[in-house]
Amino acid sequence: MIRSDFIRGHLDAIILRLILEKDRYGYEISKEISSRTNDRYQIKEATLYAVFQRLEKKELLESYLGGISKGGKRKYYTITTLGKAYLKESVAEWKVTKNIIDLFMEGLD
Amino acid sequence: MKELKGHVDELFRGIPESEQKTAIMEEVLENLEEKVWDLMEQGKAEEDAINKAIVEFGSIEDLKNELGVKQPVKKNNTKLNLGFSIWGSIIIIALFVFMNFYYSPNVIWFVYPTFAILWWPLSMYFIWKRAN
Repeated sequence: MIRSDFIRGHLDAIILRLILEKDRYGYEISKEISSRTNDRYQIKEATLYAVFQRLEKKELLESYLGGISKGGKRKYYTITTLGKAYLKESVAEWKVTKNIIDLFMEGLD
Repeated sequence: MKELKGHVDELFRGIPESEQKTAIMEEVLENLEEKVWDLMEQGKAEEDAINKAIVEFGSIEDLKNELGVKQPVKKNNTKLNLGFSIWGSIIIIALFVFMNFYYSPNVIWFVYPTFAILWWPLSMYFIWKRAN
């Protein structure tokens, strides 16, 4: 398992990306993150809900109550136009950052 | 599933009641339940599944920040304390001066208690300075 604070700063983008693909609910997102990373990264649910709150406050996400599971009503999240713009911005920023870090990390073991 | 509800209540105990809190608690509980069902389908015993879900939930501290739980801010009272100490010592010194010249005008002794009293505003002054 990698250090989660490396990823922490990019969680907003990761979660927005997953919600961009389709509307999702909390547990689905944490499962999706684990499976796509082959369990190399598992998000703590507490962190996930904190991100939801933050993104909703910033109006990058909206939520609605949807399908009924065995427990109760699931809360689904959907991305807003602002969220899409933010994600696009994040991707561009990440590319630049990645380039810079690579300059110093590549070519070494 | 009662245990799960109890645990969620426990987690959110320090957070002041609000609509937002209730909504998140419901959401968290719902998602945790689904996780537990999932784990049970994978062959875990209910108790194990619940424990795993709870452990993996993580710390609630981040969420607290988002819910606007203010870290208690200590009010800066040092200026007020300094003012109080200055006024207080002036009054006490004035009392000693009065007693000195009224009852024993031939011996000047009020300076001794004056020096002792001045420690009070002096210490308050440095506390105030340190706080700024």
